[in-house]
Amino acid sequence: MATGRGRHGAGPVGALARRTFRDARIRTISFAYLFAVASMLNPFSYRHTYSTLAERLAFADSFAHNKAVVLFYGRAYDLLTVGGYSAWRTGGILAILAAIFGLLAGVRALRAEEDAGRAELVLAAPVTRGTVYAGAIAGIAAGAALLWVAVLAGSVIGGLAAGGSAYLALAIVSMVPVFAGVGALASQFAPTRRMALELGGAVVVLSFLLRTIADTSGSLGWLRWATPLGWAEELRPFTGAQPLVLLLPIAASVLTLLGAWRLAARRDVGAGLLPARDSADPRLRLLSSPTAQALRRELGSLTVWLTGVGAFALIVGVISKSISSAGISPQLQREFAKLGEGSIVTPHGYLAFSFSFFVLVASLFSCSQIAAARHEESEERLETLLALPVGRRRWLTGRLALASGGAIALSLVAGLLAWLGAATQNVAPTLPRMLEAGVNCLPVAILFLGIAALAYGLAPRAAAGIAYGLVTVAFLWQLIGSLLGAPKWLVEITPFAHVASVPVQSFRAGAAAVMVAVGLLAAVAALAAFGRRDLTGA
Amino acid sequence: MSTPTPAISTEGLTKRYGATLALDALDLTVEPGEVYGYLGPNGAGKTTTIRLLLGLHRPSAGRAELFGVDAWGDPVRAHERVAYVAGEPFLWPAMTGGETLEFLGRLHGAVDVEYRDQLVKRFQLDTRKKVRALSKGNRQKVQLVAALATRSDLLLLDEPTTGLDPLMELAFRESITEAKERGQTVFLSSHILSEVEATCDRVGILRAGRLVDQGTLVELRHLSAQTIEVTFAGPPPKLDSLPGVEVASAGPETLRFEVAGEVGPLLDELAGQPVRSLTSRQPSLEEIFLHHYDSSDGLVDSG
Repeated sequence: MATGRGRHGAGPVGALARRTFRDARIRTISFAYLFAVASMLNPFSYRHTYSTLAERLAFADSFAHNKAVVLFYGRAYDLLTVGGYSAWRTGGILAILAAIFGLLAGVRALRAEEDAGRAELVLAAPVTRGTVYAGAIAGIAAGAALLWVAVLAGSVIGGLAAGGSAYLALAIVSMVPVFAGVGALASQFAPTRRMALELGGAVVVLSFLLRTIADTSGSLGWLRWATPLGWAEELRPFTGAQPLVLLLPIAASVLTLLGAWRLAARRDVGAGLLPARDSADPRLRLLSSPTAQALRRELGSLTVWLTGVGAFALIVGVISKSISSAGISPQLQREFAKLGEGSIVTPHGYLAFSFSFFVLVASLFSCSQIAAARHEESEERLETLLALPVGRRRWLTGRLALASGGAIALSLVAGLLAWLGAATQNVAPTLPRMLEAGVNCLPVAILFLGIAALAYGLAPRAAAGIAYGLVTVAFLWQLIGSLLGAPKWLVEITPFAHVASVPVQSFRAGAAAVMVAVGLLAAVAALAAFGRRDLTGA
Repeated sequence: MSTPTPAISTEGLTKRYGATLALDALDLTVEPGEVYGYLGPNGAGKTTTIRLLLGLHRPSAGRAELFGVDAWGDPVRAHERVAYVAGEPFLWPAMTGGETLEFLGRLHGAVDVEYRDQLVKRFQLDTRKKVRALSKGNRQKVQLVAALATRSDLLLLDEPTTGLDPLMELAFRESITEAKERGQTVFLSSHILSEVEATCDRVGILRAGRLVDQGTLVELRHLSAQTIEVTFAGPPPKLDSLPGVEVASAGPETLRFEVAGEVGPLLDELAGQPVRSLTSRQPSLEEIFLHHYDSSDGLVDSG
């Protein structure tokens, strides 16, 4: 509206856009950094690893059409050029991350603000809902632009042509407005931030599953057109670009964002179109202790973690059957070993390779639990608890026990369902062997749980960032280090380097014991540090 | 007979947040059975005091004890005889009011269930509603009921009536009176003078982290003037000057007096005059504060 314009130069849309961008700046910058690094490393490592055409041909022939790899990275169109390889490796994974980014940004700007009651404050100013909505979208667009620049810069530094890089970046970042639109729609339906994320998250997972099915099965390739993540592939950067496909994400973004806007303009501020269940019969289970109540609160997200990990483990198990080493030279297999994906060409090797990701997932779960504990404190509910005869150490010990229990459940579910999937295809690993692969995820998870807890004890506000950051760096450390041929001792600083590739190798009890011991020590230090500091609000 | 252990006692209790001195050497004693009003404007250090009393924040210097138990050193034992109501109701959005009451009650250990049901009725609380669907005042009621139902020896209340409507404020006062009759100690942090006046035996005034005065309300009021406005049938008469009475302003038919201390002499003086109406106003908290501010040099800090 004209009323607010001119006071701050840019007017209310500009002010609101800046607000949205600032709210999400840490996430945006983290994503941009990750996007830039990934875009730079892929062309660099490909040129380094497969320098001759013969190597590239062999690689293309065997590796990229391996279903296992396609599952994670998407379909490849051309693996003989640096650009084609990069588009496949960078684009496949970053498109998913861009989708997640878009969803988080959409829900953050359009539901979380309302959930927290701040939207009312903004709307009480002389601005229309349209202005507020436009401001939020503009803020998200600014974040997307930053990601685009990050991919472009990374790719160009990595040695790709500027024009192609810009197009690749566009293909990846086109997922942001599409899924911001999904987030915006979910925000209209769901009355709470959490529910909006769940709805939108389901769409992301569905899109990913559709892409997986389309990419891994010959006959269902047309399904690629049914998922936004498939559109990103069909844009085919560096491999016969199809820029007309861009109309699809553009149309989807416009439709979802306009649709969400129409809904937003009609409904009550603070409410969702889906009814919130505001009244309920009392459920008195799990109220006997702070830990029991924390479990009660976390049950929902724990179910999501378990379902996600379980579903993925099942797919991994089923697919492991189709992995074979036919036609791959021993020399090339040695090259794969450099990628840290040593024996991927056998079913067992593939399972071991997949479980290296579950190690990461279990560690991220640890971080999420510490973040949840911190959330309880930043929302000052912890103050409510600790004003009762509840000891701080008892509370934090309970949260850590809960996190450990969750990690154990996660690991066992991964092992069990991977075994189940493999068993349906008559692949050999025994159940104890696959449970061992699951348990193999635990020592690192416990280690990072202890470290995250220590960060929480010492620097509560920064704890979640430190924890997630450390896990990410530690995981990429090994991958990047071995790609660049860094000295062995340097690569092996990261705990991920000391995890055995179960079921190919056996569980390394010694390394595991050291990691668990360090984790426990860190947890003890965390309890001491937490016992000595002030409770800290948001 | 030895004197009973105070419900609250602090010695030189000090808290710094970085460069900010939030609480400056507080010495405070609240005896069992006393209802103590803790007054101060926003940011004076009331909430800081309560967080230190609960051992949620660590004293920079000095110590705080609840019934002789160190609040920072042994918070669990200290809290066994305490119930707390925070200024902001920070509860779990997905739990219903009833579930919250049950949960907090179980954590506390002792709950008078019959009294709790009575309180739920008194405060007209819908226990089936989820916390996220409750207004701020209703969330505040959940906290209040949970705390009162424990019948704890000490109630620590941090601006407990923010968000309550006048009817509920009455219910709150009734509950405090009941607590007092049962011999419970109440520490009521507030900036609402009428509430403190209606419920408290003794009052402490906090300004910028320092306890600038403490005593019964009558004692405090003696230190500052109350305003009396008189409207006459016709022009105001000329009155003899009285000790402690000052004419603050004069209108065509009105006089406004500032009276420090007893109003009796002024009323005697007015008795023979054509007074049409007379209103008197107690000094507001703000005025008492201004008084403290103006004469802070002459006041002896209790610290």
